[in-house]
Order: sequence, then C-alpha cells, then structure tokens
Amino acid sequence: MDESALERYFDDSIANESDFLLGEELDLQSPPPPGKGPAPSRGVQVAEELDLSFLPDELSSRDEQSRHDNTADSQIVPLDVSQDSGISGDYNSQDATAESEQGPSMSGPGTGVSPFYPMTPMTPMTPMTPVTEKSGIIPQLQNIVSTVNLGCPLDLKFIALQARNAEYNPKRFAAVIMRIREPRTTTLIFSSGKMVCTGAKSEDQSRLAARKYARVVQKLGFPARFMDFKIQNMVASCDVCFPIRLEGLVLTHRQFSSYEPELFPGLIYRMVKPRIVLLIFVSGKVVLTGAKEREEIYEAFENIYPILRGFRKQ
Amino acid sequence: MSRSGLSCPGCGSSNIVDDDLYCQAQLVCVDCGSVVSEGALTNESVYVGASDVSYSRTTAGDKKPCMNLLKGRHHVIAMCRILRVNREIEDLSQTFYSRAYQHKSFIRVTLRKKEFLAGCCVLVSCRMRQWPVTIGTISCLLDADLVEVGAVYKEMVTVLNIEAPSFNIYDVIEAHSQEYKISLHVAEELAENHKDLTKRAVELVELAADTWVVTGRQPVPVIMAAIYLSWQSLKPNRHRLKLSLDKFCQLAKVKKQKPAAIRVTEMKEVLCKLGKEIPWLGETLTPDNVVCQVEDILKHRYALLRRALRAREEALLPESLASCEASPPRAPEVSDPNPAESPVERHKRSAEGTLAPGDEAGQPRMAGELAGGALESPDEGSNWGARALFAPPCVVHAKRRRVEQPELRDVTGDEEISDSEIDSYIRTPREAREFAQMQNMFLE
Repeated sequence: MDESALERYFDDSIANESDFLLGEELDLQSPPPPGKGPAPSRGVQVAEELDLSFLPDELSSRDEQSRHDNTADSQIVPLDVSQDSGISGDYNSQDATAESEQGPSMSGPGTGVSPFYPMTPMTPMTPMTPVTEKSGIIPQLQNIVSTVNLGCPLDLKFIALQARNAEYNPKRFAAVIMRIREPRTTTLIFSSGKMVCTGAKSEDQSRLAARKYARVVQKLGFPARFMDFKIQNMVASCDVCFPIRLEGLVLTHRQFSSYEPELFPGLIYRMVKPRIVLLIFVSGKVVLTGAKEREEIYEAFENIYPILRGFRKQ
Repeated sequence: MSRSGLSCPGCGSSNIVDDDLYCQAQLVCVDCGSVVSEGALTNESVYVGASDVSYSRTTAGDKKPCMNLLKGRHHVIAMCRILRVNREIEDLSQTFYSRAYQHKSFIRVTLRKKEFLAGCCVLVSCRMRQWPVTIGTISCLLDADLVEVGAVYKEMVTVLNIEAPSFNIYDVIEAHSQEYKISLHVAEELAENHKDLTKRAVELVELAADTWVVTGRQPVPVIMAAIYLSWQSLKPNRHRLKLSLDKFCQLAKVKKQKPAAIRVTEMKEVLCKLGKEIPWLGETLTPDNVVCQVEDILKHRYALLRRALRAREEALLPESLASCEASPPRAPEVSDPNPAESPVERHKRSAEGTLAPGDEAGQPRMAGELAGGALESPDEGSNWGARALFAPPCVVHAKRRRVEQPELRDVTGDEEISDSEIDSYIRTPREAREFAQMQNMFLE
C-alpha cells in the first residue's frame, strides 16, 4: 500500500514540476512524525485527486502489480525489449532498497525521518518499460489491412483481361480482386485507382505486397504511383493457456464487455485505452483487433492479461 | 412621424404621417387631410407571398404520431401480454421503443427490422427487471432468425446506451422446465413433477458450469440436457433409462436441439469422473450406468470435486516437478498457486474422513477456487487441456490447425521487386487473346 503511494508520488513528481513538489514536501514535512496516520492518507489522497489519465497505462497498472515478487521479472526476458530489462532490473533493486528504508517508517514520502529525496527520482524512468509482472506472451499478428492510392483511374476490364491473378465480376462487386503468392495477400483494386490490401502478417509485408500490386498495374501500362500507404487495421491473436470464466468477467467489467452465449461463444471486450476490441474465449484464446499500430496491440494485451489472470484464481 | 420622400398629391406638402387609428394603416397628409395611400387589405406581415402557404401551416392540426410507431407500440404490448410480464416491464419497453424508434439509426429501417426492434425492447426490459427471457424466445415470437434479432439487439443497446445485465442461465431454467409436458398425460413411470425436475436440473447445470461445460455454449441445449438427465435420474427405472433424448423430447412435446445430445455426453463424462471418487462404489462407472448414481454424486458434488482434483494433482505432481527444474522462469508461476492451494489442502485433509453433507457448506467457494487454481498448468505449447481434469471441451478436443510455415519473415517493405516475378502475374499477348475469345464465346 505504501509502496504504491510512493510510486504514485513519483509519477506526480515527474509529471508535474516544481510547484507541486515544493508544496507537497512542505505540506507533508510540517506535521510531526506522530501524524503517520494523516500523512500517508493525505499523501495518498492528494495523489489520487490528481488526474493521471495522461500517463501511459503501464504506470497505473504497475501500482497494483508491484505487490508481486518482482525479482523474477529480471529473469523473464521479453523478446523485443531485451535492452530495457536492464533498466527495469535497476529500478527493481532501487525500489526494493527504497522500500526497505521506508518500511519501518510506514508513511508516505516527505516525513522528516526518511532519507528519501522525493524531488529527484531514483532512476530516469522511461515510461515505456513498465515494471510489471510481464505476461511473457506476445500476440502474433494474423492479418493487416492497408490502403494505398495509385493515383490514376484504372480500366478494370483491361486489368482483368491482362493479369493472370485477377478476378472481376462487375455484377457482384465493382472491383478487381488480385492475388499474389509472396507475401500471400489479396487486394481489391477500384477504378478510382485506390486499392485495399489484406492478408499480410506484418506491416512491412503489407507494404511490400502493396508495392508489388502497384508494380503489376504499372506493367500493365497505367501510370501508377504509390501514394498515401496507410495501415487501417491489424488483427492479432494469442493464447493465455488457462480457461477463463466469461460469466464472471462480464459481471465485473460490465461497461466494457458483452457476452451473449446465444449469439457468439466469445466475450467481446471493448477496451477504451487503447481503443481495441478483444474477443476472449473460454479456452483462453484472445483475438485483438482494431489497432493501427503494433504497440496498441501489445499494450491492450498487457492490460487485459492481469484481468484474465485475476479471474483464473477466483 | 413624417415620411420623407412622399408628397401629397393634393397639396404637395411632404408632411405625411402614418395614421394607425383605424384598423388599416393609412398615410395621411397633415395639411390637407387627404389620404396618400392605404394599407393593403391583407396583413402582409403574415403572408410573405400570397401563394406560398403550406398545408401544415394553415389547415393541418397537430402533427400526428407516425402510424408505424403506433403499430410498433401495439406489437410491444402484444408481446408483453403473451409473455405475461408485469406492468413495469411493459412500461419500460414502451419507453425504450419510443426512444429507439425516433433515433436516426432506426427511423428509416425496414418494417421487419422495426418489428425486431420491438422484440428487442421487450427483451432488454425483461433483463433489466430480472424476468428471464432468452433471445431464442423472442425470435420465436417474431418468427425470425436468432442471429438477426441478436444483431438488432446489440445495435439497440449501443444506440440507446443501455447497460443491460448479462444473460444468467439459472434464471431461465425454471421457465424452460415448465415447458416440458411431463407431469400429466404421460405414463405413471414417466411422469415427474416440475419442482423436483427443476431442482435437480439446477444442480446439474451448476455442476456443468463448474466443470466448463456451460461457458461459451448455447444455453438452451445445456438446459435440455440437464432436464433430461435429471428426469432420468429421479426415477432410474428401466423405462426411463431406455428412452433416448429424441423420444424424451417427443414425449415432453419440446423441440429437440441438436447440441443437446453432445451436452448429455459431456455431462455424463463429468459425472463419471466424479462418480469414480465415491468410496463405497465398487463397480466402474460408464456413461450407461452413471445415471443411477447421479443422486449421490449431486449430493456430495463439492467433496467429490475436491477429491478428484486432488487425485489428479497428485498424479501430475512428479511431472510438474520435473518441468519446474527444467524451466526456471516458469517456477514463479507454478509455485504461485501452491501457497493458495496448501491451506485448502489442509482443509481437505481435516474434512477428509467423512463425506458428510456438512462438507458442502463452507467448501463451495473453495472448491471453485480450487477448480480454478488446479486447472492452471501453463505448458509450453502442448495441450494443457488434455492434462487438466476438467477443461473446456474445445481445449480437450483441440482442432489441429495447419501451422503456417513462417518462411522468411525479415521483410523490410522496401526491397527490390524482381521483374520476372511481376511478369509471372501478367498474361502473354497470346493468352490474353485466347482468354478474350473464350469470354466472348461464353457471353454469346
């Protein structure tokens, strides 16, 4: 409890500059130490009055998880943040020492007895490396949808005639459906020159595929360019490897989840920050969709994983 | 007030005033008293142009509510009366319907969809007042497809921003069991009263929910399976045991749901697993003879659950120890639940001696906890479901997915694209000609 108040205090001290710090410190130091009751409550209270919503989610989720044993974290090395684990390890040790110093005094920061200087944070914290019990699971991207503008009107009948990998049925749909083998993708090419490319498993593959399609159209004689390439949607999936009580989850997270077993076997969780939709199934498999950036998917999964784990122990 | 620019035709003076004494405004010369001009016979300020008068502004009365809205309201009331809901729900659904109807996402949809909307308003009001109704029932009333009604329901809930409670299977069991015409008009050995039937069905559904048979599945087949098993086990004589699920549904005049048979099998499997732990039972339990033991199993289900889970844990213990040593990072996760479990284990050992019903009182929560705790055994890739005693059937019988070969995945997106590759996607002129000819042939 006190360590979470401590961490929140750190967040505040970093986010809001000197005025707040000075005021806080003076405030908390002026009452004598016997007021240990009021001090932590005030420290905690002031911290809670602050609006921390602008901070990245990792910081706020960190608070509730810092109660777990953090030493194991340094051993669990997530694949793509390897260089950051050193920092998190550092912070862990600093945190631990800070904790032990704070332990006996049992109060918020800023009381006279502590050797703590709340003004300067211990380590330069990079908000992107949350000191949490990482899940160790990385969602795998399954599908990327992107759009690109070729910049010139196209004759779809001609394309369907000249290209081997194209299908065109104007009565059914007003676009040419073209496929390439490597990367295995499909695209819809419209007569305005705009194109939608689907099926790639990574952003770079999607870009490469879109370029190949543009090259094909170029070879067919159109002055195609490659303008405004944009990733519109990313879909990823992963498995947490334990069963999930969907009925319980929908009760506790009512405002975000929707579970109708008569309509769909999975629970639809609409996360607000980041704005991602997750399909959670009883088998523990999770599908994440609606992202425009890869980080949103990872962030969303790290947000949902503690919730799901919490469920499993109940 | 004198008007500039006007001069009296009689005397030529410019001293003209507005005379508002009479009902018509007149411009009168002060000096000689002649009237310069009179107001128009009509009141111009009201009629801007004499011909542009809309019907609604002159003759029509108040705007009448839309006919379809009224019809829809009648639909809502009719459905409420058929379902015999109370007045509060009726009023609530009326309110929802009026609100939803006026909303822009529903004002221009087809009439059929408006009917669905009426049904969904009834559904959401019933849910909010804890009156159990399934979407299936509503779609039956509307004679529509469950999925379509579901889509309208979801849209409505989002549009009106209602926080409706989620579906609770236990509410619905009693209502459903009333449908089964199994108490009268059937043979003596086959008749059963609803109260007992429902009570046992509820226990069976609770057991199924604890062992992952219910989550994620359609609720009505689960209820059907539970009612069938409870009916069989209440008087397991040979008449009842002989009757299959199909015949039972015919007897009870209920439409059989296809998944119900699979649910029956799954529930019997669970019952067998639990029945194995009964100490006084000599014979081995198979799905055929387990029905006779259902009463005992249900009576002591929590204790049996604990025993079964513990037995499975002990069987897995040497395995998990080996895996612990093999992969240290996993150790915190595996050891994590153990502290939670050891106090439960101690409890179990103390309560071990008898399977007295007193066991059940304090233990259900712990049994649930234990069920949750013991089920985790995070495994690197192999089927964790096969190892757990109770796991969702979709995990136990996991589909083998075609593993997509990753191949080269260090694509930068800006690589060179070889001409030959692109050429392989373009037809040769001869091919194109032949294709065109073939198309023409088909089109003729």
